[in-house]
Amino acid sequence: MLKDSPVDPRGPRFSAWMTTVILAIVLLTGWWRLLAAQTVLFAMCAFISLKLNPWGHVYRYAIQPRLTPTTEREEAAPLRFAQGVGFVFALIGTLGYATGLTTLGMVATGFALVAALLNAALGLCLGCEMYLVLRRFVPALARPQ
Amino acid sequence: MTGVWALLGALAVAGAIGVLLKVREGRISSRSKAVVPDLPAPVRDLLAPGVTLVQLSTTFCAPCRHAKVILRDLADRTDGLTHAELDVTNLPDVTTSLGVMRTPTTLALTSDGTEVLRVGGVPKRDSLLEALRPHLP
Repeated sequence: MLKDSPVDPRGPRFSAWMTTVILAIVLLTGWWRLLAAQTVLFAMCAFISLKLNPWGHVYRYAIQPRLTPTTEREEAAPLRFAQGVGFVFALIGTLGYATGLTTLGMVATGFALVAALLNAALGLCLGCEMYLVLRRFVPALARPQ
Repeated sequence: MTGVWALLGALAVAGAIGVLLKVREGRISSRSKAVVPDLPAPVRDLLAPGVTLVQLSTTFCAPCRHAKVILRDLADRTDGLTHAELDVTNLPDVTTSLGVMRTPTTLALTSDGTEVLRVGGVPKRDSLLEALRPHLP
């Protein structure tokens, strides 16, 4: 697993808007292949590196040059954790849609959309703040010392 | 058609959570003035004379950084107030025994371990100072 350096916080916000749009399209169309692609994207960002996020590149080349520079930086660990939470919901959603359990697919995609939208609109990372609660239910989240 | 309802439902849930968290952000809850008998050792070790703001954080918590900036500055400018941050990423027993569910959560503790108040989320500087005033020297 690569270690990412801190990032301009507006990049992840842009990325979260894109994720919100993708998840909304999935809910409206039930197009599970798109959700599968999003699942792979979540996995790459969470388990390999945030640099693999194509929206990050779009932000850096097309949007960041037009914005006022900022010295504010956000640590990568919370962002990668959030991608991991997104991965779990997107994976359940993909499996749901692909196996005909459409309701399960919709519910899981809906949860992922709620988290992505809160992140995009308010900069709020639900999974990060609720890490203590998540860890209580998923002991595997505990990191080795 | 079901997809449209699912989307609307998700938007409504996101809106509700957003409003709820914004309202609760930085809210101060006063505690009964009893000494917590089993204050966990990692927290007890941080206590300084006067009032100590023990900020509980995790590695994955982005707003913890903002809380740290506010609390450190407040402690630097206020006599008898100390700020200490405790990373509870690997200390689930500490958060369970304190009944803490989210980070950042900040506990205001006197030197004998009495909890005077706690704040969920990023604290609001002025209202926190106001609430701490009666407990400061």
